Amino acid sequence: MVSVELRNVSKRWDGFELRVDLSVKDGEFLTLLGPSGCGKTTTLRIIAGLEKPDSGRVLFDGNDVTDLEPNERNIGIVFQDYALFPHMTVFKNIAFGLEMRKLPGAEIERRVKWALELVGLEGLENRYPEQLSGGQQQRVALARALVIEPEVLLLDEPLSNLDAKIRERLRSEIRRIQRELGITTVYVTHDQEEAMAISDRIAVMNVGRIDQIGEPLELYYKPWTEFVARFLGTSNILELEAENGVARLGSLEFSVGVDGRVKVFFRPESVLITEGEDATVTGYELLPGRMRLYLDVEGHTIIAERPLPDLPFEPNRVPPRVGILVRSFSLLSL
Amino acid sequence: MRFRPSYLLIAFPLAFLLLFFYLPMADILRLGLWDNGPTLRFLSAVLGNSYHRWVIRFTITQALSSTALTLIIGLPGAYIFAKYDFPGKRVIRAILTVPFVMPGIMVALGFILLFGKDGFIAHLIGRDPGIIYTWKAILLAHAFYNFPIVIRMVSSLWQRVNPHYEEMAQTLGAKGFRLFWKVTLPLISPAIFASAMLTFVFCFLSFSIPLILGGYRYVTMEVDIFSTVMTLLDFRTGSALAVIQITLSAIFMYLYLRSLDTYSKREEQRILQRPQKLGPRDLLSLKGLGVVLYSVLVFVFIVAPLLAIVYDSLLFNGHLSLENYRRVFSPEYNPMFGVSTLGAIKNSLLFGFTTVVISILVALPLAYLLNRWDFRGKRLLDVLVMLPLASSPVTVALGYIMVFQSTPLYYTFWIVAIAHSIIAYPFVFRSLSTGLTKIKRNLREAALTLGANEWKAFLKVELPLALGSLIVGAIFAFAMSIAELGATYMLAPPEYTTMSLAVYKFLGARHFGSASALSVILMVVSAIGFLIIEKVGEEVW
Repeated sequence: MVSVELRNVSKRWDGFELRVDLSVKDGEFLTLLGPSGCGKTTTLRIIAGLEKPDSGRVLFDGNDVTDLEPNERNIGIVFQDYALFPHMTVFKNIAFGLEMRKLPGAEIERRVKWALELVGLEGLENRYPEQLSGGQQQRVALARALVIEPEVLLLDEPLSNLDAKIRERLRSEIRRIQRELGITTVYVTHDQEEAMAISDRIAVMNVGRIDQIGEPLELYYKPWTEFVARFLGTSNILELEAENGVARLGSLEFSVGVDGRVKVFFRPESVLITEGEDATVTGYELLPGRMRLYLDVEGHTIIAERPLPDLPFEPNRVPPRVGILVRSFSLLSL
Repeated sequence: MRFRPSYLLIAFPLAFLLLFFYLPMADILRLGLWDNGPTLRFLSAVLGNSYHRWVIRFTITQALSSTALTLIIGLPGAYIFAKYDFPGKRVIRAILTVPFVMPGIMVALGFILLFGKDGFIAHLIGRDPGIIYTWKAILLAHAFYNFPIVIRMVSSLWQRVNPHYEEMAQTLGAKGFRLFWKVTLPLISPAIFASAMLTFVFCFLSFSIPLILGGYRYVTMEVDIFSTVMTLLDFRTGSALAVIQITLSAIFMYLYLRSLDTYSKREEQRILQRPQKLGPRDLLSLKGLGVVLYSVLVFVFIVAPLLAIVYDSLLFNGHLSLENYRRVFSPEYNPMFGVSTLGAIKNSLLFGFTTVVISILVALPLAYLLNRWDFRGKRLLDVLVMLPLASSPVTVALGYIMVFQSTPLYYTFWIVAIAHSIIAYPFVFRSLSTGLTKIKRNLREAALTLGANEWKAFLKVELPLALGSLIVGAIFAFAMSIAELGATYMLAPPEYTTMSLAVYKFLGARHFGSASALSVILMVVSAIGFLIIEKVGEEVW
């Protein structure tokens, strides 16, 4: 397997500019996460060689592949709509890449069988794509990409056309297969939950740039920008003035270590609820096993989420005012 | 981008178009608009001549009336096809493909046998119905050719009208005619307009039908150019007429292509309304009777001229016999068109196949280029590629006579085949473009990432998926070559006389029996094309 590096890669089209520096380690599962139109699919297509960057280099294991055609790069790709060849059977679809490599027939047969087992589709080799369910088509696409033993696996929103249930099952299966083969993988999605569940590292993209790259927990609890904070889960972001290294809001004190305007960030589950009068309860929602509270402190809205047993009151008797503590926080760039 | 060998494939079609379309057209423009400097003298001479003025006016009015008649016949069919499933629908649908592949000369003959003063209908009602050699015959024959187009395009869109629109309008109080007028009609109007425009263009450029059914009086521009050049040998006036014809038909063609864009966008909608099933019991209701009546009329309208030909071919001196066939194949007719009947059949097939090969070689690279690659000047290339659609066989032949007269190409097999290809390739191109557009781009990309090079990806993935549209395009090219009359007449040496041309010469000599016998053979050849289209089915319908 190889490492993948994008060095000063840029591409412009229709007034949009993509600028990316990225390095994916050997055997790593890296996810490009962002809203639609942020350039994540284009980044993937540049790695695949389906798009040429205007400038910058693409390196596989340090070797420059920028000018290589897709068929010279040894990559496997799964498209959002799978792009299975409609005029070929499952077997023919999976065998396509092997035939292009002119492998002998027996070897092709053996490898296709292996790939079908890997994705759990034994016995369907003579079906045509239109005779398969969405989940099965997705597995064929995965098998077709993997059977050529690619050095890099590229997945472009592979699960977004599937039902929620199948989506969850397939995503853990993709992860299992990726670990089993130890294949360097770049995964594109707009679904933050999927990204959190599946990735070694996540790169959050925003209008053509990577805002932050890191492990899921790091991104979740220590986002650098408001965009990353808001894109992953629910956030509390308070814009406060700090004096003598401390920012205050009501009874809350944040030791920020700097003076002037700051953006204090913390997650709803970092807010502890106590008996007290610090905040006004403006609304609440009962979730499975948890409660989400909407609180007002001096005109700032704070969202808190606690497991029901941790609440100092009965879930059906929410008091008008509660006390709050913020267990941990971080600062966002201004 | 690296240089790819596939670029060379583009060079052939472009060189072909330049040499065999744009060069001859430029010469026509030169002759029509140039005399030691640009001049409008020849144009105004044509426009100042009352005969040519009458011809131009008649060409447009007959095209308009033919279109109106076509719509009147076709629209009820479109409704029936979109809304109902009924026993025999498949047969009627298949029958509707027949006119696509039937040569004009044959249809004209069928109409003469049916409606002529000695025809079946005359015998039936005891007097000459007064249709043949008048504008009525032209209109009827044009409707015969084009109403299937109206049915096909309009019913396809009608089926895609989201039923929720109509249901919504109904809950808001619209019903009956108001519902149709306010909701349904605007939704299907792109199809009506596009099919009407196409019909109009066909009728405007029509040749065999007015040549034979119009008699001496009802002459269209295409026929006028033909006789001005071939009888009067007046190339100057012929060119001036051709300039006027091309200008007008380019405008009409542009309108058609624009309307087709709107139509195609609407047609992409995948919501299909299931047609209502009509069982044998329903056929007795008013609705059912309408469907039955219409189906029978369509059947008679299309099949009767063909049956008339078959019947006439078997009739000799009032008795049923094969004498006509014997005569057609006997050597006594050879001097009439310079080749034996078998030779004419062979020529037609040879021209047909050559036309198919050349038009694919020209159309396929261009269709692929325009569908798959983005480049500067793409719009312009698009127009240049489609412009031959606005020209006509007679005009092309006129240009060839002027440009290639002193080259070895003149008066050979190849110049005829090339003329046929120039006329036929836009249809192959359109068919292929539609086919290629429907193939998702990422199928090619998937093939590339799996190790295929561009050429392999095309051969293994895109070509098989576009094969249906390629075959349909090829059949159209074949049918056009087989049916072509004007250009073949003007360019072919006697030994390359085709079946259509032979039928025309029989007609000129009033040998109706022989014309019928040969037409039946022509019909069989065309029917093979029809059967293949039926097999590939989906693409046409």
